[in-house]
Amino acid sequence: MVAAAFSPLVTMETEEAQIATSLRRRDPDVLDALIEQYQHRLLRYLAHMTGNQATAEDLFQETWIRVLEKGHQYDGKSKFTTWLMTIAHNVAIDHLRKKTPASLDQMRETEDSAPWEPVAQSPSPFEQAAAMEDKTRIQAALEGLPPIFREVLVLRFQEQMKLEEIAKLVGIPLATVKTRLYRGVMALRPALLGGSQ
Amino acid sequence: MNRNEHQRAIDLLTQRNVEGISAAEARWLEAHLEQCQECTSFAVALNDTEQALRSFTLMAPVSLVETTRARVHARAQELREQQARAVLMGVSFCLGVLTSTLTAWIWWTCGAWVADKLGLPSGIIEPGVLLFWLLPAVAIAVLMVAMPPTVFEGSLMQRFLKEHVRGAR
Repeated sequence: MVAAAFSPLVTMETEEAQIATSLRRRDPDVLDALIEQYQHRLLRYLAHMTGNQATAEDLFQETWIRVLEKGHQYDGKSKFTTWLMTIAHNVAIDHLRKKTPASLDQMRETEDSAPWEPVAQSPSPFEQAAAMEDKTRIQAALEGLPPIFREVLVLRFQEQMKLEEIAKLVGIPLATVKTRLYRGVMALRPALLGGSQ
Repeated sequence: MNRNEHQRAIDLLTQRNVEGISAAEARWLEAHLEQCQECTSFAVALNDTEQALRSFTLMAPVSLVETTRARVHARAQELREQQARAVLMGVSFCLGVLTSTLTAWIWWTCGAWVADKLGLPSGIIEPGVLLFWLLPAVAIAVLMVAMPPTVFEGSLMQRFLKEHVRGAR
């Protein structure tokens, strides 16, 4: 835990403030602790955003470099998770826009329109879910969703973020978050029911 | 049952598991779901989506974490060195401006004395003094812009950077 890098008895508010202070100082020990703490969540989010684990790993590194470079912008008043995911969101969008010269809202498919390509050394979400057929089907359906819907679903159901946090992170109105959530869930429904989309 | 009720039910369903809803809202929602097939379908889909997404795991490989840490450390070092270099250049610039300003009158007087002794017109001497005064600074600035910073990192700079970096860590 990052808190352990400071003190075992810090409150959440104090921890966020201390993270902000450490980021301003570019303290490598705290950055190490943050990477340790958020590694899986961040990679999972980026993997869902890009639909490709190798790309997600590249963006994972890029995200932490940006955290280092823009750390002075984090004021410690909001949750660090939200700020981190915002950085990751921007990194992913920059990447997707480079790949596809259109706005993210216009994107219907992930980069290269390619299916998930697992890396030999590390299991992808698909591989880990392959043991259960329904999971595979749902994951495939999720990958078939446009990134804008997939992102909201992942932030909501995997990261357990509040709707307001998602709106702030993605930079869209709350009503749009709700719409994307509704449409995303309903788009997944055939897969959830065991049918095909 | 109107559209607003459906929308309210959908809003409450999406809020229920994360933000939470009040007991009164929960009662209203249950009553609505008993009568509304459309919202019930959404509730089921929502629940299934949440369960399905939560069941997926992805672990970051150790090698990725180590590589990331190494890159972050290297970049942090680079940024600290850039900052130290900027500080040093800023200090040098300020000292240069200060000494130039303080000595300008002396050089100007010297130039006038030389012109007087040699019998040269002031139209030659005054630009000469100006060049003499400004040219070293201009030449150094041009060199610093044109050449890589490491060329200028002599022992003083290296020592300064090492001390600064050690102090930051």
